[in-house]
Amino acid sequence: MRPLIRAVVLGLVGYVAGAWLTVAVRGGSPSDDVAVVFGFILGLIGWLMGIGVWNAWAREWFGLPAKPDQATGWKRYFTFNTDHKVIGIQYLVTFIAILLLGGAMALVMRMELARPGQDFLTLDAYNKLMSMHGILMVATAVAGVLGAFGNYLVPLMIGARDMAFPRVNALSFWLIPPVAIGLLSAPLLGSFDTGWTAYPPLSVVNQGGQVLFILAVTTFGLSSILGGLNIVTTVATMRAPGMTWGRLPIFVWGAFCASILSLLVTQFFAASLILILLDRVAGTTFFGAAAGGDPLLYQHMFWFYSHPAVYIMVLPAFGVMLEIITHLARKPLFAYKAVVAGFWGIVGLSTIVWAHHMFTSGMAEQLHAPFMALTEAISIPTGLVFLGALGTLWQGKLQSKTPLWLAFGWLFNFAIGGITGIYLADVATDIHLQDTYFVVAHFHYTIVGGTIFALIAGSYFWFPKITGRMYNERLGKIFAVWLTVGFNLVFIPLFWLGVNGLNRRVADYPEFYAGPNAFASVAAYILGAGFLLYAGNLLWSARRGPAAGPNPWNARTLEWQLPSPPPEHNFPLLPEVVGHPYDYGVPGSVHAAQEAAEGGEE
Amino acid sequence: MALSAGAAHERAEAMWRPRANRLGLWLFFASEAFLFAAFISARFVTSGTDKPDTLNQPLALGITVVLLASSISAYLAETSIAHGDRKGLIRYLSITILLGLVFLVGVVFEFREAMEYFPPGTIYGSNFVALIGLHGFHVFTGIVALAVALGLGKKGHFEPDDYWGVEGVVKYWHFVDLAWVIIYPTLYLF
Amino acid sequence: MNERGGYKQDAIRVGLLWLGLVVVLEAVWFATEILPRQYAEEAKIIDDAFNLLTILGIPVFSFVVAMLIYSAFRFRSRNDASEDGPPIKTSKPVVVTWLVVTSALALAILINPGLVGLAELRANPEADLVLEVEGQRWQWVVTYPNGAEVRDELVLPVDTRIRFDVTSVDVLHSFWVPGFRTKIDAVPGLVTSVYVTPTELGTFTDDVNLRLQCAELCGIGHARMVMPVRVVEKAEFESWMAEQLTAEAPAAEGRG
Ligand SMILES: [Cu+2]
Ligand SMILES: [Cu+2]
Repeated sequence: MRPLIRAVVLGLVGYVAGAWLTVAVRGGSPSDDVAVVFGFILGLIGWLMGIGVWNAWAREWFGLPAKPDQATGWKRYFTFNTDHKVIGIQYLVTFIAILLLGGAMALVMRMELARPGQDFLTLDAYNKLMSMHGILMVATAVAGVLGAFGNYLVPLMIGARDMAFPRVNALSFWLIPPVAIGLLSAPLLGSFDTGWTAYPPLSVVNQGGQVLFILAVTTFGLSSILGGLNIVTTVATMRAPGMTWGRLPIFVWGAFCASILSLLVTQFFAASLILILLDRVAGTTFFGAAAGGDPLLYQHMFWFYSHPAVYIMVLPAFGVMLEIITHLARKPLFAYKAVVAGFWGIVGLSTIVWAHHMFTSGMAEQLHAPFMALTEAISIPTGLVFLGALGTLWQGKLQSKTPLWLAFGWLFNFAIGGITGIYLADVATDIHLQDTYFVVAHFHYTIVGGTIFALIAGSYFWFPKITGRMYNERLGKIFAVWLTVGFNLVFIPLFWLGVNGLNRRVADYPEFYAGPNAFASVAAYILGAGFLLYAGNLLWSARRGPAAGPNPWNARTLEWQLPSPPPEHNFPLLPEVVGHPYDYGVPGSVHAAQEAAEGGEE
Repeated sequence: MALSAGAAHERAEAMWRPRANRLGLWLFFASEAFLFAAFISARFVTSGTDKPDTLNQPLALGITVVLLASSISAYLAETSIAHGDRKGLIRYLSITILLGLVFLVGVVFEFREAMEYFPPGTIYGSNFVALIGLHGFHVFTGIVALAVALGLGKKGHFEPDDYWGVEGVVKYWHFVDLAWVIIYPTLYLF
Repeated sequence: MNERGGYKQDAIRVGLLWLGLVVVLEAVWFATEILPRQYAEEAKIIDDAFNLLTILGIPVFSFVVAMLIYSAFRFRSRNDASEDGPPIKTSKPVVVTWLVVTSALALAILINPGLVGLAELRANPEADLVLEVEGQRWQWVVTYPNGAEVRDELVLPVDTRIRFDVTSVDVLHSFWVPGFRTKIDAVPGLVTSVYVTPTELGTFTDDVNLRLQCAELCGIGHARMVMPVRVVEKAEFESWMAEQLTAEAPAAEGRG
C-alpha cells in the first residue's frame, strides 16, 4: 500500500504546487481555469512518480538502476506491477466499480424522471449528474473490455509471456485513477453540464468543472492510446511459433482491430478538447462565432473519434462473445475468415461515417447523402459478425452455461441496437429522432446491450481462469435472465418516448410522457437490484467457490491449457501452435503442441 | 542439445524485442500524426489559407533551417554510436540540443510578435498559438529526451550493437522535424 | 450426430418460426399506432421513411430471434460431458448468400427511404412565408415578416410553405417541433434553415407535440426551453400577425 499512499500524497502536493505557482505568477484565484490546468498536470506527474514510474522506470533515464516493486499477493494490485494479468484484473475491477457507480447515478436520474415536474434534483443538478453518468459509462465501455480482457488474455492467447511494453502497460492503467479522481472531483469546481459530448460554445462558457473534464478525458485518451499501441505491437511481434494470423483467436482479432482504431483516432478527441481548453485559458477563439470561430469544427473532430469509439468498445466485445459462443457451442467458429474480414471492414469504414451525428447540425447539405450511404454500408461487415455467431450456434452442442445465456441476450440486444441504428443513419428519420430518447435507447442497446453485456459475460467465462474457482451457475443464470429482461424493460419504452417527441437530456417533461417514464424508472430499479446478485456471486465465489481446474470448459485456446490462475510469465516454455483454435469436432485436430512445453526441446 | 527454459526465452526475446521496439515507435508516430492532422485540419477549416502579412517570414525561415540542420546532427549522433564513436555521439547530441534550443528561442520571439500583430482573439492567431504551441511542446519533449540520451551516453551507456535508446530518441527528433516541415507551410506559406 | 436430412428439417422449422414471427410482428406494427400525429407534409415524408424501415427491419430482427429461439431449444446439449458439434467450419454458399442479402438490403434502404426521402424533403426550395428564429438561453424569439417579435407562442398558417431561418446568440440550441418532425440546430454565427408546411390545425394545449422544443443541450433551462405552437387558418394568421404589431405586450389570448 505504500506506493499508493506515496502517489496520493505526491499527487496532492503536485496539484497544490501547480495551482499555487500559477497564482503566484499571474494572480487570480486557485480555482481559475489556468491554475486548475497546471495543478492537474503537476498532480498527475506527482501521482505517477509516486505510484512507481520513478522507481521502476525513470531512474534508468538518469543512469540509476530501476527498482521495480517486489510486492506479492494482493498487494501487487496496488503497485506499479507490470504483469499483464495483474493489469488486466486492475482494469476489470476498476471498471466494474465505475460501472456500478455510473449505474447508481442512472438510478438517481431515473428517480427524478419517474414522474414529470422537478422533484428533488434541480434542473442544473440533473444536467450535471447526467453528464457525469455519461462520461463514466463511455470510459467504462471504451476501456473496460479492452483493458481488462485485452490485457489479461491477449498474451495468453497468442502464447506470449507478457505484453511488448510491460511498463507502458502499467502506465496505461495507473493513468486511470487520476481520470476518475479528476472527473469525480469536478463538482468542487461547479462540475460540467454539457453531457459527455462537451459541445462548444457551452463547454467554453460554463463552470470550471469543465476544465477538469477536459484534463481527465485527455489523460484517459493518453491511456487508451498507449494501451492500443501495446496490444498492436504485442500481437504483431510476439505470437508463439506457429500462431499465424489465420490461427489467431477471434478475441485477439477484436482487440487488435479495436486497438488500431484507439491508437489513431483518440488523438482527435484529445485535440478537440485541447482546442476548447485553449479557448478557455489562452484566449483563442476556435469556437467563438463573433471572431470567426466555428462551433461545428468541434463536432467534426469529436465525432471523428467518437463514432469509431463505438467500435473500439464493440470490436473486443464481438471477440469476447464469439469466443464464448464457439467454446460453449463446441463447434468451429463459423466463417472465421469472413468474420475477420468483417472486423477489418468495420475498422476501414468507421473513420469515414462520423457526420451521421450531424445531419441536423447545420453542416453543408451535400454531406448528408454520402455520410448516409457510408453509414448504412457498415451494416454489411457488422452483419458478418452476426453470421459468425448464428452460424456457430446452428447445429452446435450448446452447453447451458451463464456466459452462453448472456450471449443470447447480447445477440438479441445487439440486433435491436443495430436495426435502430439504421433509423439514425437515414437522414429523413434522423431529422426527427436526433437528440431524442430514441437515440438514448439506441446507444444503450449498442453500448450496454453490446459492450457491457460482453464485459459481464466475459467476467463469468474467464472467472475460473482468473480466480481458479467456479462461480455459482444457478445464480449466474438467474442474473443473466434478470439482466436481459430488466435491460429491455428499461429501454424499450424509451424508443416510444423518443418517437413521440421527448427530447433527451431533460430533467422535466410534459405530463404526456409520464407513463413510459414511470415504467422505465421502476424497471431500472429492478435492473439495478440485479447487480447485487452479480457482485455477490462473483465476490463470494472468488473466495469460496469450488476449485475450477485448468480447463472447466474443455476449451481449446491457449489460456485454458495453463493452470488457473496462470503462473507469472504464463508459459514455462513457449507453446508451439500447430492447428486452428476452434476445430471442435475435427478428428485428430490439435491447437498447440503441449508436450513440447513440458520437458524442454531438443 | 537440451536448451534451458531461461535461455530459450532469452533467445526468443532477442528475436522480437528489436522488432517490437521499432514497431511501437512507428505506431506512436502514426498516432501523433493524427494529433497533428487534427490541429492542421482545424487551421484550414476555420481560416482556410488566410494569413496576416505581419508574419515574420525571415525569422520563420531561419528557425526552419536551424531545425533541419539539427536533424543532420541527430543523424550523425546515431551513426557515431553505431561505429562505437562515443565522443562523436556526445558532440552531435550536444549540437542537436543546442540547435533545438535556438529553435525554441526563435519560437518565443515569434510568439511575442504574434501577441502584438495577430493575437489569439483572431482566428488566425488562434491557429497560430495552437499549432506553434503543439509543435513547441514536442520540440521541448524532444530536447528533454535528447538530454537524457546525452546524460546516459556520457555515463558510458549504449554500445555499437545496443543503442536503441539513441535510435529511438533520434527518430523522434526526425519526426518532430518532419511535423515542422508540414506546419511551417501551413502557417506561413499557403 | 445429425444426418443431412436432420439439417434440412432444422432449416425448414426455423424458417417457419421466422415466417411466423414476421407475420405477427408486421401485424402488430400495422395494427398499432406508434407514431405521433402528423401536422405537416414533412411529417408525412419522415413517417413514411420510418414505416418502411420498420417493415424491412422486422424480418431481419425476426431472423435473429428465430435463430436464437430455435438454437436454444433444439441444439442444447443434454449431457454435460463436452461432446463436440459437427465440424462445420464455413459454407461458401451461405456466406455469399448472406453478403448478397445484406448488401441488397443496405442498398435498398439507401435508395428508399434514404435518397428518396432526402429528395422529397428538399424538393421545393420556395417558401411562402419566412420566419426568423433566434435561440437564446432559454427562450425562442420569432420575428414575423411584418417585424413583430414574438416570444410566447408560435402561430403558423395552415397549408403554407414556411421557411424558418434559425440562429443563436449564445450556445447551440435546436429547433424542433415533434408534430412537424423537422429539426435544425441553432448555431451562433450561422443561419440554418428548415422547411415546414403545416397541414392540420391544432394547438399545444391539445397536442403536446405542437411545441417548439429546444433539442440541443444548452444549460440549466434546456428542458423548459419550449414555445407553444398553434396552427391556424390563413386568414386568422394574417389578423393575428397584424395584432402583434399593435399590441406592445405579446398577445395573451394565444394561450387559449
Ligand atoms: Cu456514429
Ligand atoms: Cu437547449
